[in-house]
Amino acid sequence: MSGFDAIDSLLAGVGPEAELPSLQVRRELRERARLSKAQVARALGVSPSTVAGWESGRDPVGEVRAKYAYLLDGLAAKFTTGTDTATGTGAGTASGAGIDTGTGTDAAPAVPSVAGSAVRQAGAAAEVLASSAPAPGEGDEAEEVLAVPEPCVLCGYPAGTRVAGFAQHLDAADCQATVAAPPAQPATAPARPEAVPVGKPASRTPRTSARPSGRSQGLSRRAFQEPSGPADLISEAVKAALAEHHGDVEAATAMLLKRAIPDAMRLLDETRKGARYDVIAHPWIPDILKKRTSRGADEIWEARPKWTRHELPPGRHEVTALDINGAYLSALKTHLPLGQLEHSAGLPHDRRRAGVHLITPPVWEHEAVLPNPIGQRDEPGPLWVTEPTLRLLLRLSGPKYGLCAPPEIHESYTSGATENLLEKFRIALKDARDTAIAEGDEVTLEYVKAMYSKFVSTMGESNYNRELYRPDWMHIIRSQAFSNLWLKALKAHDEGLTVVRAMGTDELHVIGDWRGVFPEGRGVTEVKVKDTYTAGIDATEHTGTEGEEG
Amino acid sequence: MPGKNLDFGKFGARGVKGSEAVARKLDELAGGIATPVDVKRGWIARLHYLTRSGKSRQAAQDAGLTVTDRTLKAWLEGKRSPSKANLARIDAAYRAVRRQNVARHLLKRLNREGRGTRVEIHPLDQSQVARPLQRVVEYRTLNVRRWDRIVGSWAAGDYQGLDAAWDDTIVDLGSQWGQYEYVTNVGFAA
Repeated sequence: MSGFDAIDSLLAGVGPEAELPSLQVRRELRERARLSKAQVARALGVSPSTVAGWESGRDPVGEVRAKYAYLLDGLAAKFTTGTDTATGTGAGTASGAGIDTGTGTDAAPAVPSVAGSAVRQAGAAAEVLASSAPAPGEGDEAEEVLAVPEPCVLCGYPAGTRVAGFAQHLDAADCQATVAAPPAQPATAPARPEAVPVGKPASRTPRTSARPSGRSQGLSRRAFQEPSGPADLISEAVKAALAEHHGDVEAATAMLLKRAIPDAMRLLDETRKGARYDVIAHPWIPDILKKRTSRGADEIWEARPKWTRHELPPGRHEVTALDINGAYLSALKTHLPLGQLEHSAGLPHDRRRAGVHLITPPVWEHEAVLPNPIGQRDEPGPLWVTEPTLRLLLRLSGPKYGLCAPPEIHESYTSGATENLLEKFRIALKDARDTAIAEGDEVTLEYVKAMYSKFVSTMGESNYNRELYRPDWMHIIRSQAFSNLWLKALKAHDEGLTVVRAMGTDELHVIGDWRGVFPEGRGVTEVKVKDTYTAGIDATEHTGTEGEEG
Repeated sequence: MPGKNLDFGKFGARGVKGSEAVARKLDELAGGIATPVDVKRGWIARLHYLTRSGKSRQAAQDAGLTVTDRTLKAWLEGKRSPSKANLARIDAAYRAVRRQNVARHLLKRLNREGRGTRVEIHPLDQSQVARPLQRVVEYRTLNVRRWDRIVGSWAAGDYQGLDAAWDDTIVDLGSQWGQYEYVTNVGFAA
């Protein structure tokens, strides 16, 4: 490496003197980069008044001239790229340019400054012009040699030339070579323009090497790359926690569980980037959704199932207690009201809106074999239910099922709804969960579980999560979980199983060959056996152990 | 005066002053005794809060609870109970002292070391306004970095100051800020 550098510097030293742009352009470039004369002077190793002189009539000579040309060229390149990406703010550009000058001085007699400028004489002038106006006289195929290599549009690795506005390697072989080049080279060498003018292609092309800093910068600019998605957030958090506790699984898990709520909020923000709807965290909340006292409840009925069959069919039976995996995780896919809930009365149900509704539930006549879809309600009369419960009732009253009469809707607080609001969030968590199960990664599994369950339980009026104040969502998501469980019970019933008990969010007890109905496993579409027991006429009362997994 | 809001509600728009919504939210964040003052449990709890130390007694006096120590003692021992006017004074003094005590902490949380707090502004309710007079007023969010004036005037019970401070804050919404003088809700967390 160093041997080549030395040869390069010798070769470059032989060439003609570097060309500098005109006085006004020199000054303009420096000012656009918000660099002071003192900064430039420090980088070049001269006094500020010398720099002032260079901008008002004098010309530098010798090695410092090459450095100055390199700086100006770099600035010009910055501004031309800055206009493409349009991300560089003033401060960003200034600091970036500062770094460039820094490397230029550090490698005092080094290659890039001298060689670069010598090689680039023609390009430099053209580029300075190009920074203010498109290069005149040259066609679309104008080649520019870049001072700071930019990622090639084809292979993503640093390329030293730009053609028709796109940084790229001139030779297809270069692209291949850099892609194939192993990242083993430490490549501590300063930024080097790698490609060469068309005149002498053979001399330095084989020595193209990938710059680590250039690579990390280049990666983000590549097309068609998998973006580092929200799922990475989870795995990174787990990795960091494990690293912090030196692989102590228990300590790392405890720490992650503590952080679960803020991390879930961060994941939510991440998944809503570029999304159509904002997550509105603090809307006006109608009184029915407000808790009456700090420990009390509001007026919403979530339709939690708590049903046990009155009598079993005669004989002794093997009962299986099934557990629905990740019930609340699946329930994140539901119709959530986006904005502020608006009151309406006497209107039929609108499929595009969601919220809470005051309904008179229909009479349920199948209590003997199936739970009531509105749960074990003791009081008669109208009650406030959420969207999933209402949709379930409407569905069951429809022609396909015909299990009950349609509910009567009296009042509603609704808002425009979407099912996709938490979809990315859910998918990210589900993917992390699936991977964790496949890899037997208990830490991630616990972390993901804490994230979604705590997210749901604290999204209302909780002091543990003050960033989100949506009691309506909390009720709706819970009701969705209950509604999903109810539909599983119906499915079991329709497939000929005997449903014995539907309880809580995820507990379903059945008699019969359930393996033909529900796949067994740990995925969210599968069920898990919690317990098996026998029950029947002469059997003693025995109930399964209560839920261990949410 | 920001928008054409001199006769707010003339055409059926509904809402509250933005600063009032902010004060309400701040009160909610400040928390405190939930039991109403006209129940014995409520006023006794407030009196305990106001007489915990010499400083809090002084603060209560400054906040308008100008009764003698003898009366306070009698109230606390249950020998007498305060009159209706005094109950109102106890409640007002409690609210004022509570605000002063919480303000410093709340301010720190809201400023978050200069990062500020995101505030959601939910526009006024136009559902009762005749269709041709309805205007598009969007939901807006704003990051408020400096809460000092807002919390300061809220803690001092200076509603005009709070109104002025809030108006100066929502100017950052841009040219339409006048539409947000009245709102249905201002949401933020601390």
